[in-house]
Amino acid sequence: MSEIGNDGVISYELKEFKLFEPLFKWARKKSLWIVAFCTGCGGIEIPPLATARYDFERFGIMPNPSPRMGDLFLITGYVTPKTLKRIIITYEMMQDPKYILAHGSCPINGGVYWDSYNVVKQLDRYIPVDVAIAGCMPRPEAVMDGIMEMMRRIEDGTADGWKRYRENYEYYRRNQDELFGEGWREKEARRWLAWI
Amino acid sequence: MIDWKLILEVIGILLYATFMGFIFMGIERKAMARIQRRVGPPLYQPIIDTLKLLGKKESISHGFIYDFGPVFALGASIAALLFIPIANFQLFSSNADLIVVAYLLEVPMLGIMLGAMSSGNPFSAVGVQRGLLTMVAMQLPYGLALIALIQHWGTFKLSEIVALQGAQGWSVTVPALLIAMIVFDIVFQAMLGLEPFDIITAPAEISMGPMVEYGGKHAAILFTQHAVQIFAETAFFAVLFLGGASNLLELLIKQIAVLFIAIFVASIYPRFTIDQAAKFFWKWPTILGIIAVLLTV
Repeated sequence: MSEIGNDGVISYELKEFKLFEPLFKWARKKSLWIVAFCTGCGGIEIPPLATARYDFERFGIMPNPSPRMGDLFLITGYVTPKTLKRIIITYEMMQDPKYILAHGSCPINGGVYWDSYNVVKQLDRYIPVDVAIAGCMPRPEAVMDGIMEMMRRIEDGTADGWKRYRENYEYYRRNQDELFGEGWREKEARRWLAWI
Repeated sequence: MIDWKLILEVIGILLYATFMGFIFMGIERKAMARIQRRVGPPLYQPIIDTLKLLGKKESISHGFIYDFGPVFALGASIAALLFIPIANFQLFSSNADLIVVAYLLEVPMLGIMLGAMSSGNPFSAVGVQRGLLTMVAMQLPYGLALIALIQHWGTFKLSEIVALQGAQGWSVTVPALLIAMIVFDIVFQAMLGLEPFDIITAPAEISMGPMVEYGGKHAAILFTQHAVQIFAETAFFAVLFLGGASNLLELLIKQIAVLFIAIFVASIYPRFTIDQAAKFFWKWPTILGIIAVLLTV
C-alpha cells in the first residue's frame, strides 16, 4: 500500500492495519520522543523535567536529537524570523504523526516582546501548534501538565496538527512566504548544502 | 524432507529472543534511571517505542541500499543467534561455530553503516567513521581473548566448550581465562554500544550518529535488531565464560548478570573520544590479552 511520491517520501496508508489503530494510538501516547528546539529562555526548563525531580522518562518521554525519529516538537521561548526558518525546516523533516508543544507566552502572542520588530508574534500562523502553555516562564509542573494534555489529546485524536498542516498547506505556505519572501527554502538550502 | 521440529524451535527461539531482548533494553533504561535516582520507564517501554515507530504514517527513503541496511543488520543478528547454543537448543552447528558467531556479531554494525552512508547526512558519515575505527580498535583485544579461550579448551565448537565447562568448571575459574574474560568484558561494552564506548551514537555530540536519518519503520527494524543483538551477545558471553546453561531460566540469570555489569560500568564512566578509545583498546586490554594468551600456551 505504499507509493513513492515525486519528493521521495513513501506514504503508508496501511488500510489493512486500521484494526490496530487503537494500539498505535496508545503507543504514540506512551512514547513521545522530544525534539527540543531550545530557543530563548525555555530550554533551561527542560533539564529539571528530565532529571530526578520531575523525571519525564516514567511516561516514556525521551529526548531525541534526531528529527526523523521525534514525535513531540518543543518550541521553548520566543521565535525570531531567523529561528522560524529552522523550525519550519525541522518540522517538515519530522515524520507524521508529529505534535508541537509551544512553551511560554512568546509563541502565543509575543509575550514581553509584544512590540519587538524582530519577534514572530503568533506562531500558529506559520506552523500548527497543538498545545500551548502560557506563562513566563512556565514552571516544570506547568510543562508536565501541558505534556499530559498532549497525551490526552493524542488518545482522543484531537492532536491533529500534522493533518491540519497537510490540509491547509496553502495557508501556512502563504504566511511563511509573506514573512520571508518567495523562494526562501531554496535560498536556505543553497546556503547550507552548497553541493546541491 | 522438512525438519518441522527444527523450524518450530527456530521460530520459538526467535520470538523468545526478541521479547527478552526488548526486556533487556528496558532493564537497561530502568536500571540507569534507578542509579540516577529517577523512577524510570516501565520495563516494556522499548516494545511501546517499537510499536509507535511501526505506527508512523510515513517513512523517508533514500534509495535501495538505505532500505537494505537495517534488514541486512537484522538478518546477521538472527544468523548469529541461531548458531549459539541457547540452553538445550543447539539449532545450527558446524565445526568452527565460535568463529562464525564471533564475526557474525560484528556484521550488524556494518549493515547499519551501509544504510547510513547512503543517506548522505554528514552526521551519519561522522558516525560511520567513528564506528569503523572502534571496530578496528576492538578487533585486537577481542581476538586475543578468543584465542586464549580456544587454546585452553582446545576446540572451536561452542557446544564442546559448554560440555567441557560442565565437566571441569566454568572458564572464569581458570586464572588465565579470568583475564581473558576481563578483556572480553571491556570489548563487550563497545559491542553493546554503551559508555564509555558509545562514541558511535553519541547523542549529544553527533545527534545519534549513523541512526540520524532513520525514522519510522526503518528505526523499528533497527530497534528489533538491537533487541536480538543484545540477547545474542549476552548469551554468547554466558556460553563462553559462565559455563553455558542447561535451561532457559539459568541462561536468563547469567545474561542478566552480564547485562548488569555492563550497565553499572556504563552509568559510572563518561564517554571516551575516539582517539582515546583507540589508544585505550590498543594498550590495556591488549596487554592483558597477550598475558592471557601466554598463560594458556
